[in-house]
Amino acid sequence: MSSRPALDPALLSHLISAQRLEDRRGRRGSGIATLDRLLGGGWPRASLCELIGRRSSGRTAILYAALARAIAAGEAAALVDVGGGLDPRRAFAAGIALRRLLWVRCAADVAAKAADLVLGAGGFDLIALDLGDERPRLPAAGWIRFKHGAEKQGTTVLVAAPARAAGSCAAAVVQLGPGAPRFVADGAPLFDGLQAEATKGRGAHEHGPESEEARCASLAFSCRS
Amino acid sequence: MRIACVFVPQLALQAVLRRTPEARGGPVAVLEAGTNKAKRVARVTETSPEARRAGVRAGMTGAQASAVSAGLRLLTVTAADREAASAALADVGYAFAAAIERGDADRIFFDSEDLARLYPAGETAIAQAVQAVAARVGLGVRVAIAASKGVARLATRAHELALIPTAAGPARAALASIPVELLAEGEPDLAAAFRRWGLRAAGDVAALPVDAIGLRLGPAGARAGRLARGIDDEPFVPRLPDDALEEAIELDYPVAELEPFSFVLRGLIDRALTRLRERSLACAGLTVRLELDPRGVDVRAVPIAAPTGDAATLLQLARLDLARRPPAAPIVGVRLLALPARVRATQLDILRPAGPAPDRLAATIARLAALVGPDNVGAPAVEETWREEAVAVTTYEPSRPDDRGPLSLTLSPLRGARANGGGDPQLTIRRWRPPEEIEMLLNRQGPAAFRGRETTARVLIAAGPYRLSGEWWKEGEHFQRAYWDVHASDGAVYRVHQNERDGRWYLDGYYD
Repeated sequence: MSSRPALDPALLSHLISAQRLEDRRGRRGSGIATLDRLLGGGWPRASLCELIGRRSSGRTAILYAALARAIAAGEAAALVDVGGGLDPRRAFAAGIALRRLLWVRCAADVAAKAADLVLGAGGFDLIALDLGDERPRLPAAGWIRFKHGAEKQGTTVLVAAPARAAGSCAAAVVQLGPGAPRFVADGAPLFDGLQAEATKGRGAHEHGPESEEARCASLAFSCRS
Repeated sequence: MRIACVFVPQLALQAVLRRTPEARGGPVAVLEAGTNKAKRVARVTETSPEARRAGVRAGMTGAQASAVSAGLRLLTVTAADREAASAALADVGYAFAAAIERGDADRIFFDSEDLARLYPAGETAIAQAVQAVAARVGLGVRVAIAASKGVARLATRAHELALIPTAAGPARAALASIPVELLAEGEPDLAAAFRRWGLRAAGDVAALPVDAIGLRLGPAGARAGRLARGIDDEPFVPRLPDDALEEAIELDYPVAELEPFSFVLRGLIDRALTRLRERSLACAGLTVRLELDPRGVDVRAVPIAAPTGDAATLLQLARLDLARRPPAAPIVGVRLLALPARVRATQLDILRPAGPAPDRLAATIARLAALVGPDNVGAPAVEETWREEAVAVTTYEPSRPDDRGPLSLTLSPLRGARANGGGDPQLTIRRWRPPEEIEMLLNRQGPAAFRGRETTARVLIAAGPYRLSGEWWKEGEHFQRAYWDVHASDGAVYRVHQNERDGRWYLDGYYD
């Protein structure tokens, strides 16, 4: 009776389980390799996700990286921008093909309604709702509506806000710590970028035990103004 | 050649019933006022079968008709109703032929010979298909197919569906039973003459020599004689459809609010789209012409991003346009012009997602524009200026293959790196527009602390100044600024600038 031939270790390292393959297909690249590793492949598709951070935490950079990645992949993407803080030159520099980004600048009180309209149109793969400095004031029913809308349309709704609000409706949560700015001090100081700690929060679909190291990552952001 | 004639009996009644479909199936009478002084009292001109069964007759006044039938609906027909019904009839023809001849308002002709391959069951199937299409646009029609226009016209006067053979003998036999009143319709003197001669049907007229009839009754008599024999030489002059399709309605009373007006608009859009659908077309443009009370006209073109056959989308776009720019006065009439277009099937990219449906996207952008303002929806664009806060909004093009902006040459390598997930993510600036004026406390090195509307902080590190000036060539727009990147005590890194022309400080935004 012949024994089962052993797989080449080099080949073995490339094998992944069918369950993990499915999980990988259900993720969209965040555009940042470190963040992809933290999230287990990227932001989950067809779900509501939260990105929490205060001013200068790199929150907007992460949002733009996700938008750039989606547009580069030929997907339809929209940005609902409270206060209209988008800088088109820097958004372009971040990799966003501007003509292919639906940009809705609005006040905080109509942001959820605007995002809901875009979600209802269907066909958008990523909708980024950037609340700026505004704390989300949406009732629980509103978040449930977003969650179901995202599932139905196959859209990732990525909400960037200074504080958590979606609760159990969010499938993935990334909390950014305060950014530590880097200044190059060769003579007069020059702002070079910042470093921020990203922590994966408990999303609705994530229940397994994870070490503290696996839930945290350090993100470096560069400033090439 | 085989010519199909499609005739709408009681056009006024059918035109009114297209506008008020809820009245179908009940007793309905059309009231019309005479043109001269003596006949100015409105009288019943046309009646539905239910009204006729109840005893309502043409010529009755409204009061008399109501007295005869308690549940009678008395409706008045407008020129707009007639025009719309007539145009709908033409569209029935265009559903079967590329070119048709519009005879009177209630009659069309088209060449049906080419349809034989589409309808192998024969001309009966063609005629039934025409009646089915007409029913879908709200018209009950009679159809006759014959070798000539005149013969087909005569057959529709007598029959719901008639197929008159091409050969003279069988054609004469098929027409023989038609009463002389229908043979000489519109010429009562001729019909009376036939009656005096003891002729009752077309077959009797056909038995007389045509020359002899012409000698006694003139050219009209001779034409009737030839027609009774199935002979007609009236030329068939078809023409192509108009560029735009029209539906119109005149309202009984002025409407000032959007909600009730939407019901009116919905009916018009539904009817227009039904007509377009029968021709396998969609709507590529919508023009709404509003007649205002007491006078004035408001014409507006409703932008449609892509041809659509969805009534809800068109109604929504029209409603949003009306909500954004309400008419100056109440509305008493509406004319809708729908631009037909072929809906082309789009080949989807095998490697790219399908993206939003164009018609739904257009409706969504219109709704967003109504919510946040038209200048706040679209695609962001870089303005041709050195002012950092400048931004423009252009048309959102989800299917645009790639950017070819002025910055693409300088930034594309960076873009490529970022889009593939390589390198550090790029920080951006969340800007306040316009920049917020702040109070700045300075020390020897530069900014030391600042106070704004919502932000007050000490400056821990300040990098700068980076001087920027421009637009000195424009009158009153010259700017001269000194920018600083400041790490503030609240943890954020702000972008601030001093206007070096007046010394004021502004907060541009923060790095994020």
